[in-house]
This record gives sequence, C-alpha cells and structure tokens, in this order.
Amino acid sequence: MKGAWRLAARDLARNGRRTAATGLAVALGFAALVVLGAYGTAAERFLRANAVYVQRGGHVMVFREGGLRKAALDPARYQLRPSEQRAIRAALEADPRVELTAPFLRGMGLAGNGCQSMPFVALGVDPALDRRIIEHPEVLATVPDLARPLRGRALGDYPGSEGPIGLAGGLARLLGKTRLHDDVGGAPVSPVRCDAPELAVQLARDANVQLAASTYDGALSAVDAEVVQVFRGTSRETEDALLLAPLDLLQRLYDTDGVTYVAAFLRDARDTHAVAADVARRLQAAGLRVSVHTFDDFAANPFYAGTMDFFRGMTLFILVLVLAVASLAMLNATTLNVVERMREIGTLRAIGYRRRDVRRQFLREAAILAAFALCAGLLLALAAIAAFNGAHVMIAAPGIPGEVWIFLSPTAGVIVGFAIVFVTALLAATALAVRRFARRRVADLLVTAAG
Amino acid sequence: MTAARTEPIMSALLVTLLLLPGAAAPAAGAPSPDALLRDSDRARGGLEEGVTWDVEVEAREGGNVTRRAFLVKARGDDALAEALSPPRHKGEVILFNDRTMWFVKPGLRKPVSISARQRLSGEAANGDITSTRYARDYEGTVTGEEDVDGEPAFTLELKARARSATYDRIRYWISKRRHLGLKAEFLSVGGDVLKRATFEYGNRASLRGTTFEFVSRMTIRDAAASGNVTVLTFGPPRAERHSPAIFNVNDLVR
Repeated sequence: MKGAWRLAARDLARNGRRTAATGLAVALGFAALVVLGAYGTAAERFLRANAVYVQRGGHVMVFREGGLRKAALDPARYQLRPSEQRAIRAALEADPRVELTAPFLRGMGLAGNGCQSMPFVALGVDPALDRRIIEHPEVLATVPDLARPLRGRALGDYPGSEGPIGLAGGLARLLGKTRLHDDVGGAPVSPVRCDAPELAVQLARDANVQLAASTYDGALSAVDAEVVQVFRGTSRETEDALLLAPLDLLQRLYDTDGVTYVAAFLRDARDTHAVAADVARRLQAAGLRVSVHTFDDFAANPFYAGTMDFFRGMTLFILVLVLAVASLAMLNATTLNVVERMREIGTLRAIGYRRRDVRRQFLREAAILAAFALCAGLLLALAAIAAFNGAHVMIAAPGIPGEVWIFLSPTAGVIVGFAIVFVTALLAATALAVRRFARRRVADLLVTAAG
Repeated sequence: MTAARTEPIMSALLVTLLLLPGAAAPAAGAPSPDALLRDSDRARGGLEEGVTWDVEVEAREGGNVTRRAFLVKARGDDALAEALSPPRHKGEVILFNDRTMWFVKPGLRKPVSISARQRLSGEAANGDITSTRYARDYEGTVTGEEDVDGEPAFTLELKARARSATYDRIRYWISKRRHLGLKAEFLSVGGDVLKRATFEYGNRASLRGTTFEFVSRMTIRDAAASGNVTVLTFGPPRAERHSPAIFNVNDLVR
C-alpha cells in the first residue's frame, strides 16, 4: 500500500508544473473560503453579541403571551407582574445552562431639556445585573467598542444618584447635553431661558433632563434624570432616540411594578433552542401564559436573523462558485494526465491491475494533491487573517452607527467543514475523469496510446 | 358615447348627489368658515378675556374607569390646567403658551415641553381640556349641511395649519342657528376617523354684559369600536382677571 502512495506522489511530481497549477487553484480557492468562513464566524459572533448583550435581548426572552409584538401598544396588558417575573426567573435559573437572568422594561416617551423635547425609546435595566451583562467576556472579546460608553461610566457606578441615565449619541446631541454628570461636578440645575441667544451654553451647564410619558393608566407623568453616560445606538434607527435607565426610574415614570420581558443569558449559545423549549414547557406546566423567543428568532431580532440569512445565502453561492472552479481545474488536469498516461494505464492493466486499482491510483494522486493544496491554502488563509487582524481594520457595519473593528476569527469547525467539502469535490472530479478511460479494454488503451 | 346620451345620466347623477343628505352643498350666503369657527370657539373657551372653569375627565377603557379633575384658567392664546385630583397628581400643571405646551409637576426641576396630541386621559388629548382655538389652529371649509339630532348644521372640513395642532384633520358640525360645535370627527392625515366627539352646552357664560351658551360636556368615543369612552364634564365658567405671570413657564417652576 505504501508503494502505491509513493507511486502516486512520483506521478504527481513527474508533471510538476501542471500539479502546481492545479494545486494553486485549489489552495487559493480553499484560502478564500477559509477567510470567508472566518468573516462569517466573526460577523455572526458580532451580531449575536450585539443582539444578546448590547441590546440586552439575552439568548432567550420570555414575554407575556403576545407581548413581543403588542407590549409597545398596550404595555399595561402585556407586562409581566412581579410574581410572574419571580416564577420565570426561578424556572430559568434552575437550568444549569443558564448563566444569568435579568428583567427589562421597554417604554417610550419624551426627553426634555427645559426648552424642547425629543421622543425616546427607553430600556430599563437593573444596574447591577447590567454591569455583568455589558462586561461579559463574550462582549469584551467580540464587541468591546459597541458595549463601552462613548463617554461617562456605567449606570451602576451611581448608586446614590437620582435617575442616572445613558443617552444614545444622537439623542444627547439633539438635547444639547454635551456635558455629563461627572463633567459638571454636581452643579445646581439652573432654569433655562429658551429665547436666550446663548441657549446651547445654558443647556450644557448641567446634565439634568426630564423624562415625560403616559403612565400605564393613562396619566401624564414626568421624572428628573441625570445623564451619566453617552453610548452608541445599537442601530442607526435608534441613534437619535435610545435611552438607558435604571429599571426603578422607568417603573416610576410609567407607574408600574411590571417589566416587559425577562431575558436569560446562557453559558453556551448552542443551548439556546433546547433551553427555550425546556423553559416554555415548564412555564406552561406552571400555568403561566408566556411566549418564549430566542435571539435568532426573526420576530425578536429581525436584523440578526435577516443579516444571517443573507450571509448564509451569499456564502453558499460563493462556495458553489469556488468549488466549481476548483473541481473543473482538477477535472481538466486529471483528464490531461490520463490521456498522457494511456500507455501506462494499459501496461498496468496488462500486468494485472484491475480497473478499480487504476481508479484508486488516480484518486490517491488527487488526495495527495488536495492535502498539500489545502494545507497551503490554510497557511495562506491564516497568514491573510493575521495580517488583516493586525491592521485593525474599522468598517461601517450595515445598520450600526459609527465604525466597528472587524476581527476575523477562523474556527476549526468551519475549516474542517470546508476541507471535507473540498476533498469530496476534488475526488469526485477525479473519479469522473478517470472513469471513462479505466473502462477501456487493455488493447485499446495500448493501441490508442501508440497511435 | 355621445353627448346627447350622457346628458340624462349626468343629470340623474347630479340630482341624486343633491338629494343625498350628507352631501348637501352649503346654502348660498352661508357664513364664512372663520366666522363660524370663532363663534363656536367662544363657547368652548376660546375667549380673549380671562375665564376659569373646572373640568372632570372620566375615562372608561377596557373595563377600567379613571377619573381626573382639573382647574382651567384661560386668556387669549394662553391656558393653564392644574390637576386637582386624584391626590397623587395634585399640583401638576399643563401650560399652554400660544402653541407651545408645557408639563410641570411638583419637584420636577424643569418644565417638559409636550405635545397637544399627547394622550391626557383615556381618549382625551391634552389639547381637549382647555380652550379651543380652532379658528386659529385650523383652516376651515364649509362642505355642506346636515342635521345633528334634528338640529340643522353646517359641516366643515378643518385642516391643521401647524403640526402643533391637536389633530391633523377634523370634520366639524356647527349649528346653523346657534353657531355651536355639535359633533366632531377627528381624522388622521390619511383621512381615517380616529375618534368621534359630541358636545353639549348646558352652561352659561357672561362676559361684558353678554350671556352665551358654554360647553358643559364633551363625549369622546374611540372610532375603532373598542367601547372606550371618555367624558369631559365642564363646570360653569367664571370671568376672572388672570395675571400674565401665571402663564409664564419660567415662573411656574420657581
């Protein structure tokens, strides 16, 4: 058997230029796919970390039944009351795959600076739990730029302050809040003359804003708040409206003790669907009418789901294209090889080689070529990825304000997967090329070669 | 088709349209829309003189009933509505400075600029509880005549002159004889009816020696047939001198 492999290697070396050209085509194609796979993995991790941690959706979200779509229109009806929150969190935390659970309150209203008001979309968080979410190792490894405030500190750093809030950069600009609580050093809040020529200076004197909204029973309500951080909006649409506030502040504003949803953050994202199914079953058995969503559910995260669907389609298209080119190169090289070696094939058949043995010999050559080419392609891809990551490339990611660092992360699973697909395609191309000639009679092979 | 053949059809269509009660054209010599709106505004608080009244808002939504009471002080383009009850809302103030609205509550460090369209309670928007200035805020067109509960009325189409108006479009029925708003449909920009309101005038106001009817009840129903109803009950208006300072937002938060 060893001799057969040695013979195959020698045959490849005999026509070094053709072997090198075919190998190069395969190597480049494989390298391109590995880089694409690394980009896909990075993009998926980036979008997932954005959806799960930065947007605080969690891997699994539990709403009151129908709450995902209807809570914004009828928040009082679709809120989760304290007893329900406790039951949901207990059911989730009983699962060892769940790392952390947290309640969140979504709401809308107007943020005012004493002169004008801007509509806001708020997310109420538990500041202590929020720190764990936003400083999660997955966040720091994947989306540190998105999670870190552009200015200021975490809400949890102001336990004694009344109403510490964060504003998305666009909303802070619209409200003229250019200085934060730490910048003004607790300066007293002074009245604003809205018709004064130096209005911008007056607005920047303090970090105080007012949040106004309708309570869940329909009354007008307002609370004071201090801007302690400015963060980057999680999407272009929310850059001018997003507001992060302590849960108790928003509950006071809306005059409720309810929340919109409870999120579970898992130790391993691959357990998402299993955990969601288990908790849905348990909560249903407990008589709670809830709906459970996962981060990759289109209804819960259309941006993540839509982008990933598009990316999968694009990757499949490129994979087919690259495989077709590599397979055709292999088919062409093997066909030429076989035509040139007809006499050799005839001789081998004459001394007792069966058709199967001839086919296997060519497949051995293809396997050796593929192995070398894939190794070369992998090295090339890893070098390109290292160079790309070293260059610290910032890109304007679709749907996300500002620029983000794109870090390619090749994974063994993706590399092995592409390698298997590649080797299979190359061997199939070789088998196809050899098949017709291997079927010929020995005499025909020798005569055709001599002629 | 020839002109001779189409003429009888067109005539029949014209006669049919003229006979339709909802599409009746305004009679020749109908008052101008602005005059009608000014007169009807007066009975809903749109006065140049200082006037004060109480208003109770009872909202029925999905089986829940909430009640709130306000004291409203108005003068010209300014108005101030102070919450009287329930106790936890006492002292809250909605201030109308011309077309700008402010919300102030005890303890709040700065006033909040709010919208007249924002929901106050139930189906009532902030702009519904205070003085009505349709002549100022809307451009009106008399589109026909129609009876409302047996009372002949002009129908008007009102279009907001500015985005600060409480509604984008209003279909308004004004009594021909009394020049009072009898019925209104509040429409979206696209023309969908959002809410319907009826008005009653059981109050009397006396100003500068003139006594006139004044709104006593406004009933607002959700057009989506949800059964949600909000009733605004207005107390008798009192002529009062209001200092300009009470309508100054900077004085309110001090």
